[in-house]
Amino acid sequence: MRLDHAALRALLPHRYPMLLLDRVEDVAPGESLTGVKAVSGCEPCYRGIAEGQPADRYAYPASLLIESFGQGAAVLWLLSRRPDTAGLPMFTAARDVTLLRPVHPGDVIHHRVRLEQVVDGAAFASGSSWVGEQRVAEFDSMMAVVRAADAIAEPAK
Amino acid sequence: MSDRDQHMEQLREIVAEVLEMEPEEVADTADFVEEYEADSLRAIEILARIEKTYKVEIPQAELNEMRSLKAVHEVVARYAGWQD
Repeated sequence: MRLDHAALRALLPHRYPMLLLDRVEDVAPGESLTGVKAVSGCEPCYRGIAEGQPADRYAYPASLLIESFGQGAAVLWLLSRRPDTAGLPMFTAARDVTLLRPVHPGDVIHHRVRLEQVVDGAAFASGSSWVGEQRVAEFDSMMAVVRAADAIAEPAK
Repeated sequence: MSDRDQHMEQLREIVAEVLEMEPEEVADTADFVEEYEADSLRAIEILARIEKTYKVEIPQAELNEMRSLKAVHEVVARYAGWQD
């Protein structure tokens, strides 16, 4: 099963600038998912950088890479639950994350996510992120818990 | 090492890893919440790791009891059928 951007927006509550997943290429509910995030020089994280900075100043922030992987894990979990299940996944812990090489504007990241375990109201995922043939990060354990949607939603303006 | 000692050491390692402590710092009867500042998320993580390691299912209702290493051992022994 493949999910385009519109389908992701229907599943995830995240929006600009924190919707960090562009597409899902393949998902086997209850098992695994491959999600895609294209990094561009237009990302808000590159705003306001002074002229003349070296290339490493444009490395994609690790926090956003981890969040992006986590959103892939969230989609996998949401599609693995019974359809009538309420609540949204909230990312709570990452353990043993290894960053292997930096990601730069122009790179297309593929997150390969496995759903490891679902315990009452909590889920654990693992996997790795790739740019082309190169592995850029490994995730040993990512944990999320279910919270009621209205407990997470943006307060009314 | 007896079965009980072996299980206690394995459980001590799981708890230590989740609470980000050294195994030798986790005392048998110390309360995770009061003495190690654990919260309900850490408790669920401990439960999940135990379920995965020993391939047992422990109802979430037991979480309230699993407040020390000794208490964790008692609960797991019950569901895993350990004769410790």
